[in-house]
Amino acid sequence: MSAVTTDTSAEKIASAKARQARITGGILIGLSLLVLFLLDVAASEVATFKLSRPRDAWVLPDLVVPGAFNTIAAALLAFLGVRQFLRGGGRWTSLSLGIGIALVIMAFLVWATAGKSFSLTGMLQATMVRAVPIALGGLAGVLSERVAVINIAIEGMLLAGAFTGALMGSLLGGWGGLVMAVLVGGMFGMILAALVVTFRMDQIIAGVVINLFVLGLTSYVTSQVFAEHRYLNNAEIFRSWKIPILGDIPVLGPTLFNQNIFVYGALILVAVATYYLFHTKGGLRARAVGEHPRAADTLGVDVYFTRYLHVTLAGMVAGFGGAWFTLGSVGRFDENMTGGRGFIGLAAMIFGRWHPVGALSAALIFGFADSLQQKLALLNTPIPSEFLAMAPYIATIIVVAGLIGKARPPAADGRPYVKE
Amino acid sequence: MTFLTKTGLAAVLVAGSVTAASAFTACQVTDTGGIDDAGFNQTAWKGVQDSMAEYGIEGRFLESQAEADYEANLNSLLGGACDVIITVGFLMGDATATSAAANPDQKYSIVDYAYDPTIPNVVGQVYATDQAAFLAGYLAAGMTETGVLGTFGGINIPPVTVFMDGFVHGANHYNSVHGTDVTVLGWNPESQEGLFTGNFDSLDDGRAFAQNLYDEGADIIMPVAGPVGLGSASLANELGTDELKIIGVDADQTQTDPDRAHVYLTSVLKRMDATVQAVIKAAMDDTFEGGLIVGTLENGGVGLAPFHSFEDAVPAELKAEIEEIKAAIIDGSLTIGG
Repeated sequence: MSAVTTDTSAEKIASAKARQARITGGILIGLSLLVLFLLDVAASEVATFKLSRPRDAWVLPDLVVPGAFNTIAAALLAFLGVRQFLRGGGRWTSLSLGIGIALVIMAFLVWATAGKSFSLTGMLQATMVRAVPIALGGLAGVLSERVAVINIAIEGMLLAGAFTGALMGSLLGGWGGLVMAVLVGGMFGMILAALVVTFRMDQIIAGVVINLFVLGLTSYVTSQVFAEHRYLNNAEIFRSWKIPILGDIPVLGPTLFNQNIFVYGALILVAVATYYLFHTKGGLRARAVGEHPRAADTLGVDVYFTRYLHVTLAGMVAGFGGAWFTLGSVGRFDENMTGGRGFIGLAAMIFGRWHPVGALSAALIFGFADSLQQKLALLNTPIPSEFLAMAPYIATIIVVAGLIGKARPPAADGRPYVKE
Repeated sequence: MTFLTKTGLAAVLVAGSVTAASAFTACQVTDTGGIDDAGFNQTAWKGVQDSMAEYGIEGRFLESQAEADYEANLNSLLGGACDVIITVGFLMGDATATSAAANPDQKYSIVDYAYDPTIPNVVGQVYATDQAAFLAGYLAAGMTETGVLGTFGGINIPPVTVFMDGFVHGANHYNSVHGTDVTVLGWNPESQEGLFTGNFDSLDDGRAFAQNLYDEGADIIMPVAGPVGLGSASLANELGTDELKIIGVDADQTQTDPDRAHVYLTSVLKRMDATVQAVIKAAMDDTFEGGLIVGTLENGGVGLAPFHSFEDAVPAELKAEIEEIKAAIIDGSLTIGG
């Protein structure tokens, strides 16, 4: 470090960029060797990916990839790596890394599937489904952290939504259950807002308290009440609803257009939230409250109200996501059934750089790792099942720790605002 | 933190069910699936309930919310309040052995664990579940329309995989008898690797894993993961039983999951209620002796549940073949995996 103190800042940036390019180049060359030696597939073997399922309207032939693909992938990786190493430019660095990782994943799939087959469409559909609660959790995080309220309570809000969905869904039917789940989620959002905005409680502690409260309460009711009165925990689920014509498109149709309302809801909410936060007056004010509440206050924005509103909205989104566990999946509540998905949602939010679309993309990566893990277990790869089960979490750690680059939270994130 | 609240909750449950210490008391510690899991823990608890009804004893249970609770729960039952402590689940093997060694006068029994060498104050209850699962595999291979069956487990431990072993061997036996080519996805008996959710409580995983197997063509699935299988039943209910049928495990799941009874082709019974009751009887009669009880097809400790709504759908010849195989396993002329 001390050797470069005489450099001007422009030179520093240039050398940092060059170093980053060399590191990327090194990683890509390493990946190339990995593919060449560890993921070596005999050229005579083929990997078969099924694109259509027996009942699809338009049937595509299976995608058959010869084993030579991996050799080509290794060569491509080596080319990208050497190119980066010798004359890498800043603009190409992340693109090369992205292409490289995609190539490695494809090579890995070909290696695992060599001589066998699996349903690619099924895997993509599962990716989407498994991403929904995480994306909604992440979106809830975005909404509240954009107004500078750290929301650790997402897990509890998901669980509350799941519980309410099952209970009210059993009593009032699916739509009633869904509305109540959203309202109860919103209620917990409002409680969090009251604790941290009005009473200026430590935001992390307030979130943890809500999580523990919801977990304790729902577990108690499940073991004491639901065990005796089964009819209270037997909700009708929302079945998947195929969008005409679009749902028949091979691969894309089942993935995007033949899902239940929670998947459509998550996609719509992400789009609406993106538009709202970045293209409307209200969104601008909300972000101002998150970045510099004093300035916003001076210009006449009601900081407290803005925070209450957005944290409550975040709770409603999380409540909707929670209802997915019961009304969108199994129709029955079970203790702690969200299983930490709210925290993964928080990780998705950070990886997505506090942006709704980013959070959705991160959730999809998690969903992909999750469904990939299930397929690999079926393919009898030599990797132990315990390790495969870790895959989604490893993916989360990698994306959060290594690949996000410089993500910056809203400047006032986590700090209470005191009006003067 | 989770652990603290949940232990607190467990303590409340105990306080609620403490009764006079004078009567014979059987105490049970469940595994993480919970007492109302519609399968494993619930069946073992039924053994205590039956004993309460028949012998007029007192029964108590403690739910383990996490694996960290095992020891705490066992410790809280010590001190003479329990005449026999029954722990439910392979994962509690170590905790039970430790507690039994420290308290040689306390009688213990554990479901799904065989100690070698045996411990003088512990009765291990184990089951030749592969015998019953073999029948289920044979049945499923005879009933499948796609030629693909599926199975997945909770965690890769012997009491779970023994189901999957038997299921695969049963399907293979059908293939060798009938010259068919039915495959079973999700378990490889040779490498002992397969499809596992990694937990016994996420119902959503049960649905996702069943969907995964269904996408690969499976039309009959046997989930061996306690309540997680209820999520699979939910998918079968949504798709319809023409598309997907479920084989229940542990208890007759048409009884424990009555709302979706129609999706269960049959259930692989593991009569933990019977062995638990036998242990309690032995402890009451002072004939309790440390060692092993093995449930088999022969003594009724394992078995196949009735077909219920599929009674007419299962061909008579197939039923007859299953009876023959059952007899052959009992008299030893057919060995599983042989």
